[in-house]
Amino acid sequence: MNNKILGRIGESIAADYLENKGYKILERNFQNRWGEIDLVCLKENRIIFVEVKTRIGEQFGMPEDAINKNKVQKLINNVAAYMRFKNNNKYRIDAICIVLDEQHKLKRINHYENITI
Amino acid sequence: MFLKVQSATNLGLETMGVDVEVNIASRGLPVFEIVGLPAKSVDESKERVRTAILNSGLEFPQKRIIVNLAPADIPKEGSFYDLPIAVSLLAFVTNCRIPENSLFFGELSLDGTLRHTKGALLLALFAKENNIGNVFVPEDSANEAAIVKGINVFSVKSLSSLLLHLLNKEKMEPLEYKKTDSDIFKAKAEFDMAEVLGQEQAKRAIEIAAAGGHNILMIGSPGSGKTMLARALPGILPPLQDQESLEVTKIYSAAGKIPPGGSIITVCPYRAPHHTISRIGLIGGGSKPKPGEVSLAHRGVLFLDEFAEYPRATMEVLRQPMEDGKLTISRTMASVDYPARFILAASANPCPCGYLQHPKKQCSCSEREIRRYKKRISGPILDRIDLHVDVPVVDAGELSETGQGLQFLESSAKIRQRVIKARNIQQERFKNDNIFTNAEMRNEQIKKYCQLAKTAKQILTAATNSFNLSARAYFKTIKTARTIADLAEAVDIAQEHVAEALQYRFKEN
Repeated sequence: MNNKILGRIGESIAADYLENKGYKILERNFQNRWGEIDLVCLKENRIIFVEVKTRIGEQFGMPEDAINKNKVQKLINNVAAYMRFKNNNKYRIDAICIVLDEQHKLKRINHYENITI
Repeated sequence: MFLKVQSATNLGLETMGVDVEVNIASRGLPVFEIVGLPAKSVDESKERVRTAILNSGLEFPQKRIIVNLAPADIPKEGSFYDLPIAVSLLAFVTNCRIPENSLFFGELSLDGTLRHTKGALLLALFAKENNIGNVFVPEDSANEAAIVKGINVFSVKSLSSLLLHLLNKEKMEPLEYKKTDSDIFKAKAEFDMAEVLGQEQAKRAIEIAAAGGHNILMIGSPGSGKTMLARALPGILPPLQDQESLEVTKIYSAAGKIPPGGSIITVCPYRAPHHTISRIGLIGGGSKPKPGEVSLAHRGVLFLDEFAEYPRATMEVLRQPMEDGKLTISRTMASVDYPARFILAASANPCPCGYLQHPKKQCSCSEREIRRYKKRISGPILDRIDLHVDVPVVDAGELSETGQGLQFLESSAKIRQRVIKARNIQQERFKNDNIFTNAEMRNEQIKKYCQLAKTAKQILTAATNSFNLSARAYFKTIKTARTIADLAEAVDIAQEHVAEALQYRFKEN
């Protein structure tokens, strides 16, 4: 299984997780010239951008470690571009970290709200 | 969750409290950040703390951890913040209570044990001054901290043993101070005075220097025994008194020169740097000023062999510490005071070839070369040296064959007895003056303690006029005479004491 497929699996797990929590998914894999936003959702009239990181096993590092300053900065630029065409100015950037086991079953899922503070 | 642990940082010999504040937020991506102007060694503490906690069998919290070292405007350096940071995280993970009124200090090893950390004594002194009852320091540094009485010093072996203590499962007992023997605490005279043949005058001068804390310059041909005499000097130095011991140990603690498990230093330090030493190496420096050789020789001996070979600039920096017994090193980051009250013992040749006034060998230097060579040691430095002594060449073969010198040779131990006796007299005399030796006397103390007999005064006045002694030289002569009188256990300074002191004075020929 390559990383692209793994990412897709992770994103759908994250989307289900968020929908269960009452989020409405607006877009998946929103792309523009600065890159990609994995999930864009809406909850309580606030737009929420979600970066999803997926790993199989944790022996090669945790998904949390992969979200570094550069990645977050890229995300912020991207979000700014997205928000230019919206009337709504309430938004938040979240991260969801997913770890699967060898059989690709969900081992843990962590939702970090507002990672830019 | 907000946690606070007390620690302290050393700057030179001064200590300042530092609060290690840790906030563990439940929201946000997991990060581990240190703020409050950390230097590289403090910033790297993150990795040591993380690994040490994991290797102690605990979980490292996956939270947003922000560590603040307050006051935040002072640059932080050193590895000892590891322990306070780790303790606050332990308190978060295991819900143990952080003991109040306690200081934490120490560097972590990756396996969770604590390493010897410099400056533990200064920390303990700071705790005592500020009524902080408990200090937690690494096992190897604990004995050093336990020198300070009246506080509880806890010797921490590893994070796991500290955790058992904090959880009240296995209480640690405060450490009792134990005196230990270690190389730097032993007198390390390479020679005994009895091994040096002849040189009665030089030996006498060295005895005076050791007894009164006077500076000494020995001039002689190669092989006459100058270096040997200087190397025998540690053997006749008296043990340090309590107050002196503490001063010396503080400097060595700040410099990180106390070995693991070390205790208080009771032996006079003896430093003998090579003449290629830099100015900064000699007096101390660096962006966070470190003590130099003059401070490491505090209350002991700084032996400068081949004194004339020292670059002029290096030699001149000695002027101020020789006079004041302390120095202030100012750099952009900090300004630090170090004590530097040492006995300067120096040796030099009389001329470039070394054989001037040699009984058998011919000196091959021109008049001009000799003059230039003598100028290498500047007047102000010579003026600060109380004892100038010639070390002539002795015919060792003849001396040992005839057995002439041998029977009168005194051992270092015997000379040391006299030195100690003279020092005890001085200790009694200066008990209210906050000084220890005759060489440290100020003018008002000279007036108070140096009663010159009438004949002694006459001889001194005559000498002042005929030798053109400077005001400093005049008072230095009185101080030397005081020491000679103390060695003779005389109350007042008599004529012969002044006469002997004058004989060691530098004379321009």
